[in-house]
Amino acid sequence: MSGPRLPTLAWRNIWRNRRRTLITLFSIAFGTLLATLMTGIGDSSYAEMIDHAARLGGGHVIVQHRGYVELPSLDKTVRAEPELLDAIRAEPEVRAVVPRVVGGVMLATSTNNVGAAVIGIDPGVEDRTTLGLVDSLAEGEMFASADDEGIILGKTLAENLDVTLGKKVVYTVTDKSGEITNGLARVSGILETGAVEIDAGMALLPIGALRGVLGYEPDEVTQLAVFVDDHRVSEGLANHLAEQLGDRLGEHGAVLPWFTASPDLAGFVTMKVTGTLIFEIIVTVLIAAGIFNTLFVSVMERMRELGILAAIGFSSRQLFGLVIWESLWLGLCGIVAGVLLTAWPYYYFSTTGFDTSVTMGNDGSAQVSGVTMSQVLYVELYPDHAAYIALAVVVATLAAGLYPAYKAGRVSPVEAIRIV
Amino acid sequence: MTDSVIVQLQAVEKIYQQGKIEVPALRGLDLEVRRGEFMALTGPSGSGKTTALNIIGGLDTPTRGKVVVDGRELATLSRGELSRMRRDKIGFVFQAYNLVPVLTAFENAEMVLRLQGVPTAERRQRVMKLLAEVGLEGMEHRKPAEMSGGQQQRVAIARAIAPGPVVTLADEPTANVDSATAEMLLSLMERLNRERDVTFIFSTHDPRVMARARRVIRMVDGKIESDERKE
Repeated sequence: MSGPRLPTLAWRNIWRNRRRTLITLFSIAFGTLLATLMTGIGDSSYAEMIDHAARLGGGHVIVQHRGYVELPSLDKTVRAEPELLDAIRAEPEVRAVVPRVVGGVMLATSTNNVGAAVIGIDPGVEDRTTLGLVDSLAEGEMFASADDEGIILGKTLAENLDVTLGKKVVYTVTDKSGEITNGLARVSGILETGAVEIDAGMALLPIGALRGVLGYEPDEVTQLAVFVDDHRVSEGLANHLAEQLGDRLGEHGAVLPWFTASPDLAGFVTMKVTGTLIFEIIVTVLIAAGIFNTLFVSVMERMRELGILAAIGFSSRQLFGLVIWESLWLGLCGIVAGVLLTAWPYYYFSTTGFDTSVTMGNDGSAQVSGVTMSQVLYVELYPDHAAYIALAVVVATLAAGLYPAYKAGRVSPVEAIRIV
Repeated sequence: MTDSVIVQLQAVEKIYQQGKIEVPALRGLDLEVRRGEFMALTGPSGSGKTTALNIIGGLDTPTRGKVVVDGRELATLSRGELSRMRRDKIGFVFQAYNLVPVLTAFENAEMVLRLQGVPTAERRQRVMKLLAEVGLEGMEHRKPAEMSGGQQQRVAIARAIAPGPVVTLADEPTANVDSATAEMLLSLMERLNRERDVTFIFSTHDPRVMARARRVIRMVDGKIESDERKE
C-alpha cells in the first residue's frame, strides 16, 4: 500500500465533480475537433492549391533568370546543363526536374489573331505529376517528341481561333535577340480544364520546336521546374540549391520557392493561413476559459481544504503544483477525448471530403489566382500541425490553471479554516 | 516524560482589524507548555483560545509578543520554514476532521510523512501501526465518506501524530461527535499522551475534556484567568 503523490491526488481531485469535469473535457474535445478540421482542411486545400500551381507553372522550386519574376521575357534564360540537372536530381526531396520555356505568344490563323501564354514542354519528361494539364486533354494527344510539329490549345482559345485538330496555327514570338519571329504548328490537342483563364489563354508547344524558333541553345530554358512531394520543403530546398548551385547558375541564375515565383497565390495562402490561425487562437482561448472556470470554481470550493493542507505542512509550491497537475490532467484527458471525438469525422472527411459544389452554386471548379481547385475539400492534417494542436491544448490548460494555482498557493490557513 | 518547555508565549497580543475598529483577541498572553502535557484551553466564546491555538500552530501571527516552538521563534521563520515547522513539529486536529475526501484513511494518515520524504516501507509500517493503535485496523482503504465521525476523527488524530510532532493542537476535537465517541476519542488521546509522550493542547468548551486534562487554563477576554494543574 502506498499513498498518493501530487499527480495522483490531482487526478482524484478532478473527478470529484464528475459532471463538471466531463463538460470541461467535452468542450476541450469539441475545440480540438474544430481546430483539427479547420487546420486539416487548410493543410489539404493549400497543399492541393500549391501543387496545382506547381504543376501548372514552374514547380515547387523554380530555377530561372533573376529578372524573370518582375518582368517575364523570353530573353531571360538559364542553361539546363546535364550536370546541373543531375545535381538537382541528387537532392533527396526532389521528385522531378523538368525544363520549360514559358512566355507570351501571338497565335494566328487565317481568320483570327489571339494572344496567349505558352509553355514549351518536353513530353519525354513531363507527366501528370509535373504538368496538370496532361489530365485535361479533351481531344487529340500529347506531343510525340520535343521536336513535334503540334500545338495544344485551350478549348476556348481554339474556338476563338476557329481551329480544330489538324489545323495550322502560326505562332509569333520575340526571339532571344529581340527580333519578331514565327513558327508553324498543327493543332494536335485541345485542353478543357473548366478554368476560363486556361481554356481561353493557354497553349502548349514542344520545347525543341519552340527553342528552334526562339534561337535558343539546345539546353536553354526560361525555367527549370523542380517538384517535391511536400511543398513545405520548398523554401529550404530553394535555399540549399541556391547555395549548392551558385557557380553553375551564373550571376543571372536564381532559385526561388513557389511563393516567391507565385506571389498572388502565396498572398492568398498566407491570408487563409492567418485566418485559420486566428480561428484557432479563438478556439484555444475558449478552451482555456472553460478550463479556467472549472479550476477556479474548484479551487474556490476547496479553499478550506487547501487551507487545511497548508496547515498540516503543504508548502505554497506544493499547493500550486497540485492545481497545476489538475489542469495538466484536464488538458491530457481533453486531448484523449479530442482524439476520440475527432477520429471518425477526420476519417470521414479525409476519405469522402466536403462537397462544396452545392453551396458554391456551380458545377465547375473554383479558381484561386488562376489555379484550379477541386470543389471537394478534404481534411489532411500534417503530423506537426496535429502536435501543435495537442501542444496548444496543453499550454492553454496550463495557462488557465496558473491563476487558480496561484490562489491555492497563497491560501491563508487561518482564514481558510474559518470558512464553513 | 520530560519537562522541557516546547511552547513559549511571551506577552502575546493579537488585534484584529474589523473595518476601522480594532478588536483585541489576546491581551498579553504568557504561557509555557512542557513536553508531555495534556492540557486544555477553555473559556467562553471570544476568549481567545482558538486564536492562541492558531498562533502556537503558526497559522496566525501575533500583533505583538514572542512565540517560540521547539526552540525556534516563529516570527523569524520564512513562509517555507513555517510550512516545514508545521509539517514536522506541529500536529493539528480540527473540529470538523477535515480529511481529504478523495484519499483513504491510510493515505490521509500518511500524507504528511510523504511530504517529509519518509521512505515508502517505513511510511507504511508507521501508518499501519498507528491506524491499529487508534482502532482503525481493517479500515485503511475506506474513504472519509465511508466512515463515521468518530472514525474520521481517529484518522485525523493519526494524521496529526504520524510525523511525531512536538505538540498536537486540537481545536474542539469532540464537538462534532456524540458522548460515547467523545469519551472514546479522549481515551485514545490520553493513551497516546501516556504511551507515546504526545503533547496535546485542546481548545474546548467540553467539560469531558476539561475533566480529563491534567492542566486547564481558563481564558477570559484574551487573558489567562486561571491555570490549574491536576495531580
